[in-house]
Amino acid sequence: MEQIKNGILDYLKDNSFMERGTVLRDSDSLTQNGIIDSIGLLELIDYICETYSIEIPEDMLTPENFDSLQGITDLITRLAK
Amino acid sequence: MQITGSSVAQTTEGNIAQLSKNNTGRLTDSSNTQIMDELNRDADKLAERLRGFIRGQITAFKKKGVVLGVSGGIDSAVALTLCVQEFGKENVYGLLLPEKESAPSSKTLGAEICESLGVSYEEVPISPIIESLGIYNKKEQIIKRTCPEYDPEIHNTSLVLPDFLNQGLLNVPHIRLIKDGETVARHRLRANDYLELIGLQNVKQRSRMIVQYMYAEKMNYAVCGTTNKTELVLGQFVKYGDGGVDLEPFADCYKTQIYALAKHLRVNEEIIKRPPSADTWSHYTTDEEFYWRMPIHILDQLLYAQEHKLPLEITENNTGLPRDTIEKAWRHVDRVRDSTEYTRAAPPICYPGI
Repeated sequence: MEQIKNGILDYLKDNSFMERGTVLRDSDSLTQNGIIDSIGLLELIDYICETYSIEIPEDMLTPENFDSLQGITDLITRLAK
Repeated sequence: MQITGSSVAQTTEGNIAQLSKNNTGRLTDSSNTQIMDELNRDADKLAERLRGFIRGQITAFKKKGVVLGVSGGIDSAVALTLCVQEFGKENVYGLLLPEKESAPSSKTLGAEICESLGVSYEEVPISPIIESLGIYNKKEQIIKRTCPEYDPEIHNTSLVLPDFLNQGLLNVPHIRLIKDGETVARHRLRANDYLELIGLQNVKQRSRMIVQYMYAEKMNYAVCGTTNKTELVLGQFVKYGDGGVDLEPFADCYKTQIYALAKHLRVNEEIIKRPPSADTWSHYTTDEEFYWRMPIHILDQLLYAQEHKLPLEITENNTGLPRDTIEKAWRHVDRVRDSTEYTRAAPPICYPGI
């Protein structure tokens, strides 16, 4: 689980509007903190599907599953089982 | 009582009044605000103001008349009517600019309104421009790699976003395949395909802009835009496409106000009833399906309430939505507004001061 979280964090550091030195807590909102925008979200979904070889059903494309590090990590853990 | 962004004052009767700014910018008691009434009121005065604005701008630009792209939709029908009322049919020129994927009704309704107003018009199909850039082929390739079962012989296509109010899903675009009027498949678009697709699709509106200016410059006319406030706030127009015009009379009028104007101006009922659409997909895709994600009367009330800082409970009473949905919708609107700042921005100028 920690490995997944760190992987997503590294991706966001390299590919989002996250400023250097920003400390991102597990429950912080990625959209409300301006870390990803609508295109960034689509790119993040692509990254998750490719990296973890998963398909995300449409009904799981919810803000709860994608707006925080914890939500994303939980989603990947569930789908990668 | 929860107050969001508005003031509370004690009236002489001792009642609590909720103060918000109305359309004229004055502070008024908003506790009984009926947003739809506000948006539907004084269509006659609004029409007069808009005609005055159009006249003023055309005069300031020293132009002799107005060119309009007539799409068969309500915005261009209202704009055309106002221009004819202000300048006379002799000084207004209509352009029907269909392409291969346009709905046949767009051309028919566009021609009808021009003829009913006695306006000279011309049909200039833009398909050759689109074809010369390989747009249709490239679009086809994206649809094929997104939807493996796609067969152009049997499927129409559409780009859609999930409904906001009922599904609560993220703003993730999907390609929909339609066979005999029924949706038979739906696939998520990858980010790079979505970006390429938007660039390809926007060539349609940008081609129309080129043709409109070709005619406007020949006639020494100005090009009148039709983007309304709902579209402007949400960035629902193409930069240097339908946004590439000389004046935007509707940019401070919500779509609901355009409907009120259309009724006041007695625009063809068929145009009023037709669901608004960018009309760029082989399956007629409404603005509600791709962009608004909710009915226009709800969206406009939410935008109006946000603009006028109406209290949450007034917005609840008006829209019939629960407060958590309203708050989510407002956050969604804020994000869309932020992410489309670039679309609305004029090229920034550097003033070196040397």
